[in-house]
Amino acid sequence: MEQHIHPEPKAFIWKYVFTVDHKIIARQFLWTGLMFLALGGTLAMMIRWQWAYPKTAVPVVGQLFLSQTGGAITPPTYTSIFTMHGLIMIFWAITPILIGAFGNFCIPLMIGARDMAFPKLNMYSYWTFFVSSILVILSFTSQLGAASAGWTTYPPLSSNVGAPGWGQTYMALAIFVTGVSSIMGGINYIVTVIRYRAPGMTWFRLPLTIWGLWLTAILNVLFVPVLGSAALLLALDRLAGTHFFVAGAAVGIQGGDPILFQHLFWIFGHPEVYILILPVWGIVGDILSFFSRKPAFWYKGSVFAMIAVTVLSAVVYGHHMYQTGMAPLLGLGFEMLTLAISVPAVVLFVNWLNTIWKGSLRLQVPMLFALGMVFVFGAGGLTGLLLGTISTDIYLHDTMYVVGHFHLTMAAASFLGSFAALYFWFPKMYGKETDETLGKVHFWGSVIFITLVFGGQLVAGYSGQHRRLFEPYQYTYLKHLAPLNRWTSFAAFALGITQLVFVFNFIKSLLMGKKAAQNPWGVPTLEWTQCSSPPAYHNFDVVPTVVRGPHEFADPEVKKKLGRDYLDQVEPGLDAVSESSADEMPEPQAIGAE
Amino acid sequence: MGAVVELRPRAKEDFTSLLGMMIALGAWAMMFGALFFMYAGLRSNAVSWPPPGIARLPVALPAVNTVVLLASSGAIALGIRSLRKGERRALSAWLAVASVLGATFLVLQVVVWRDVWAAGLQPSTGTYGSVFYGLTALHAVHVAAGLLVILLVLVRSLLGKYTEHNVMKVRLPAMFWHFVDAVWVLMFVSLYLL
Repeated sequence: MEQHIHPEPKAFIWKYVFTVDHKIIARQFLWTGLMFLALGGTLAMMIRWQWAYPKTAVPVVGQLFLSQTGGAITPPTYTSIFTMHGLIMIFWAITPILIGAFGNFCIPLMIGARDMAFPKLNMYSYWTFFVSSILVILSFTSQLGAASAGWTTYPPLSSNVGAPGWGQTYMALAIFVTGVSSIMGGINYIVTVIRYRAPGMTWFRLPLTIWGLWLTAILNVLFVPVLGSAALLLALDRLAGTHFFVAGAAVGIQGGDPILFQHLFWIFGHPEVYILILPVWGIVGDILSFFSRKPAFWYKGSVFAMIAVTVLSAVVYGHHMYQTGMAPLLGLGFEMLTLAISVPAVVLFVNWLNTIWKGSLRLQVPMLFALGMVFVFGAGGLTGLLLGTISTDIYLHDTMYVVGHFHLTMAAASFLGSFAALYFWFPKMYGKETDETLGKVHFWGSVIFITLVFGGQLVAGYSGQHRRLFEPYQYTYLKHLAPLNRWTSFAAFALGITQLVFVFNFIKSLLMGKKAAQNPWGVPTLEWTQCSSPPAYHNFDVVPTVVRGPHEFADPEVKKKLGRDYLDQVEPGLDAVSESSADEMPEPQAIGAE
Repeated sequence: MGAVVELRPRAKEDFTSLLGMMIALGAWAMMFGALFFMYAGLRSNAVSWPPPGIARLPVALPAVNTVVLLASSGAIALGIRSLRKGERRALSAWLAVASVLGATFLVLQVVVWRDVWAAGLQPSTGTYGSVFYGLTALHAVHVAAGLLVILLVLVRSLLGKYTEHNVMKVRLPAMFWHFVDAVWVLMFVSLYLL
């Protein structure tokens, strides 16, 4: 569909603050997300400190924020720290970076649109998200401490009894508000992909990135409202004295049901883990192909596998609730559906391996991060089977094993995938190149230490250490795990320090990075072949007409005639390029053609 | 090609907006769906509904209110029909009727709340009170928001912003209004009648 070219605003406030330009909104999401990633990371370091050196003063951070106790973490502070760490990482770090930043940046550019379908809604989406960020900060400043009921916010822990004060209320409201922002974004993404693909950009010519983001948007629009409802009802329980989730003697006549919250939460919560990983699957699928200089193996298989996961993700939420007294038959159903997800997941995984198989790998930074993501996601996926199976889950439930598992998939895989995307699109976003050496240092540090951290958690959990324990070693049966936890913490600190390399690289590249070429990676998709780095305000002077899919690599004929190993999505085919040679050898007539 | 006059120049844009609105309403439906899920869960847990010693909710006034809200939806539908024929003044009139009816709904809703409150049912009176006040209040917020939008459309209509060529700009807010009405019908049946 035709989109008009609007003049670019000149005033700072319209260009960078209240902008409708998807590329700037992407940067806004990126910066906010990175800030919260740093905050959530700092909180993680504090948790690890507590497990390595319980009740001793936290260096640096402790002096700044915990001066009342001389820097040591108290039990209530500890519960707040892990709660805020989880919520911040999921809703204010990964979501804005993966979906807010790369969704906004990639969708119009990769499908050949001049902007989103609803640019103003896009702007509202960011500023709604911004309001929710303020609520998060408010939660930290509230008098009785920040939210402390765990990221799952289960009542009665999250009721006024379990978590008094405004900290938890602010977070319930923040979750609702950020949910509204996600829904606005989701509507925009879905409609943009349906309506604004460039001529010739058929569904099966879309880059896998777009498929991942589009399916994510669908899950967002369908299931975030359920979380919104749960958060609203929780807020009503806390503010208006209703009894939706409160039960027991305090209530009197007829109590509510805390388990209902778990249902609402996981109806959203399970699709949410795919919301956080589907964009990464798409991005990694593309990057593996681009840097192996080979077409993505069984592209349609990957697409259908992602669709299958999207559908299945809506009907497996019960596996988070095996321990809530669920009817055994129902549990069995959920177990079967959960394990069924392995099938499309393995299709994707095998497709990735086959994509890089015998490719001419270019081990540049985005590719390294993509390969790292494949590795940690494989580990995370395999450890998940034990949690989807009821018999083993009963033993592993609520242990550090669960923590290790979901960090390998949601944290490690999403984290490495986000950085693959960031290093890959940074030249297009800012028109500057990043430092390759620093990038490699960042990668190796990240992938090694992240595996050690979450691997250590898996082992600790398998040995019986419960998650969320303030001081595990006060239990005799966990005393011997102190060295393991300490070493895991050292790996975590090393992981944290490694991120400083990225911060340095990011700022250095922004300020004095080399000017990026239009297509530094030599890839066929529209944003690299049709737009300058960074793209013009309206993206495309002429909306391109697409003639082929996004992974047109490794054709020896192309190499011979054009001197490069790919055909971009727009240029005419070889027949047109080499008309003269085609004339010499007339094409054989197909037998039986009418 | 030049001689061909496009009869509906905004048809494509219109469809894009329509699609966006339908997806948004889908999201809203999921939100209300979750509320009804919660209601069904609480009610199936309860030994008796309403719990012993608590009077049932009144039916008469809410029934009147249901008719009021449905009439308001009907008024908007008639307004859009007039606009399609190019009768802009009729649109404004119907919009005015719809907003008066919408406001009436809110007033009557407040009266219902006051009566029920006076009869001793409060948000903290077990789940029965929680569900009643919670669901109706969240719905009333949507009616209030919808009413503001309808009033805005009315003002723009009076300023002559709508013609038979941009009916979609009235249809989209109307869709939201109809959606809120449909949710109300479900609430009326499940809260007051069943």
